[in-house]
Amino acid sequence: MHRLPTLLTGILLVFLTSWSGVVAYSALELGRLTPVPDADSGASLPPNLRGDAIAGQRVYASEGCIACHSQQVRQTSVTGTDIARGWGARPSVARDYLRDSSAFLGSVRLGQDLSNVGVRRPDAAWHYRHLYAPSLECEGSVMPSFRHLFQVCKIQGERSTEALDLQGADAPKPGYEVVPTAEAKNLVAYLLSLRQDYPLPEAPLKNGAKGAAK
Amino acid sequence: MSDPILSHHQGGDSSSGGDPSVSIDASVRLPVLMLFGNALHWLLIGSLISLIASIKLSFPGFLSGVSFLGYGRLVEMARDLFLYGWASQAAIAAGIWLMARFCERPLGGVILRTLITSAVVLWNLAVLLGTLAIMAGYSTGIEWLEYPGWASAILLISFLLIGIWVVCLFDRRAGAASGARAEAALWYLVAGFCCFPWVYGTANLLLVWKPIAASAQGAVQGWFCNGFLLLWLLPVSLGALYGLLPRLHGRHLSHRNLAPLGFWLLILLGGWSGLGRLIGGPIPAWMCSAGIVAGVMLLIPVLIAVINLSASGRGSTSGPCVAAGFLGSGLSLLLAAAILGACLSLPGVSAFARFTSLTASGDLLWLFGAVSFPLFGVLYLAIPPMLGRDGWHRTLSDLHYWLAFSGLCLMSALLVLDGLVAGLALLDPVVSFLNITSFMQPFHVLECAVWLFLLLPSALIVTVHFTGALASGFLFPKK
Repeated sequence: MHRLPTLLTGILLVFLTSWSGVVAYSALELGRLTPVPDADSGASLPPNLRGDAIAGQRVYASEGCIACHSQQVRQTSVTGTDIARGWGARPSVARDYLRDSSAFLGSVRLGQDLSNVGVRRPDAAWHYRHLYAPSLECEGSVMPSFRHLFQVCKIQGERSTEALDLQGADAPKPGYEVVPTAEAKNLVAYLLSLRQDYPLPEAPLKNGAKGAAK
Repeated sequence: MSDPILSHHQGGDSSSGGDPSVSIDASVRLPVLMLFGNALHWLLIGSLISLIASIKLSFPGFLSGVSFLGYGRLVEMARDLFLYGWASQAAIAAGIWLMARFCERPLGGVILRTLITSAVVLWNLAVLLGTLAIMAGYSTGIEWLEYPGWASAILLISFLLIGIWVVCLFDRRAGAASGARAEAALWYLVAGFCCFPWVYGTANLLLVWKPIAASAQGAVQGWFCNGFLLLWLLPVSLGALYGLLPRLHGRHLSHRNLAPLGFWLLILLGGWSGLGRLIGGPIPAWMCSAGIVAGVMLLIPVLIAVINLSASGRGSTSGPCVAAGFLGSGLSLLLAAAILGACLSLPGVSAFARFTSLTASGDLLWLFGAVSFPLFGVLYLAIPPMLGRDGWHRTLSDLHYWLAFSGLCLMSALLVLDGLVAGLALLDPVVSFLNITSFMQPFHVLECAVWLFLLLPSALIVTVHFTGALASGFLFPKK
């Protein structure tokens, strides 16, 4: 340990254990998981993401959603509380993230877990109103408003079909409407795509649990 | 024989003319002052951003609707400023100074000095641009690696420009040619400076520059977090503790034959313990088990460090300086962080502690306690002589120490309490999530108050150093 080559070789070899065990193993084994065919429909699982949902991941990253929201349902051997809270019908496994560009697993739950928010909240209009003014849908929520993902426009002729249904203090001036920008649409498409309600070989659904995550 | 570290501080006993530490200090003065100075500024700015984020969490209406001041962006900006702006930069500065002093070798050559100084400028530029990029919405969304790929590439390059020299110095140290023993502090410094490029380069390559399949990213990200804390920052601060504490108290390491075991165990377990961040998560079960074992076993190297150093910390009667206070508390906080970390890796505790402030309190104790306190100790020893002073104003230094120490203790206690309450409430599915949120609001308001309090020590030390640098003519040299 008193000569640089000896010390460096030692550090290299010891460091290599966690590097090969965690990093190389993950990259070579977990990274090479493949989708599996669905026994019922023949589609591949996890389902493919739509283009707007993939674009929505970018918005999810840039707004820092991960600072408050996790995307993982824990194994029941550790705790059953995630499933009991209705955050998922089964624990999340590595294969669930195969379609994502980044795995937003998260380490903080100041807000609810989002791994199955698409099952829990399948309505896009709910998400738009919630992003625009969280307290409209969740009284007492501490989630910040994402108004900058929306535009206030003058109503020209007919009211836009995309305009948010807002009342009271959050409503725009008469003659104006609030419409989502492309970023908001992509983000909501991504949120709606978050659903782990299909069975995988390593994470089967219990009988009748399909779609039970409310 | 005059000690390579403390010769400035025991002014009388070193021969004034040929003191080698003066020429060593002069050779590293510019990069070390720049690194420490900028690190302190980023620490203050990071604390300020954390305060704003904390207010936004308590009062969601505060600065609402401004895209670049969104809560998520602020949290990421502040964390990266603490990691890359403050801790890493202070660790590089401490590493340069300690290595040069321990090895008794000045930083030679104008070209090398210019290279290192430019690397420091580059590093700070990357931190600034990375922070602005997160603010503008270009975050990668990967925790602890939020800077865009180009910014992290600049960080890595500028680190390599500095780090290679620091590592090479080990072989050029006084007595190296005759095969003299290298002290434990040097192993830790070399290990830290070797591991940073490897840990940071690997994580950026696999998660940011050329992302692997997302199914494999979770484990790599957990490995990175603990690798960054325990294989880069902690070895440097342990190097400071091993090198400085015994010298300050005029003692030797006790049970020094344990020191190599502690060193190798830390390098072995540091990376594996990162898997403890994913207990129950979407990784294979054996990985969770490895993370649990490593997280608990991490107590061994920390206990060895405490055994090696605590006897040297006891019964110091020679009027300990504030540096000794920071180093001694750093050792205690290291023990506290390791104990909390071991508890959090237990599956039974992790079941309710994961995703709550308990995890944050663990990281806070590692980063601001075990790492930052020893670095402050180095700062108090290294900077004043370089600016032509014996030390800073005693009262102000003591005030800084007490504010920082009490602020950190308050914050960790509050986060532990917050995490316990929220975690236990989350275990009961009957209690609705919104109920828990509203119940936790008072804790968040208290956290605002503590962040406000934590601004005081940062602002104080920045002011003291700024005025010191002004008075010495370092900032605006007199013609």
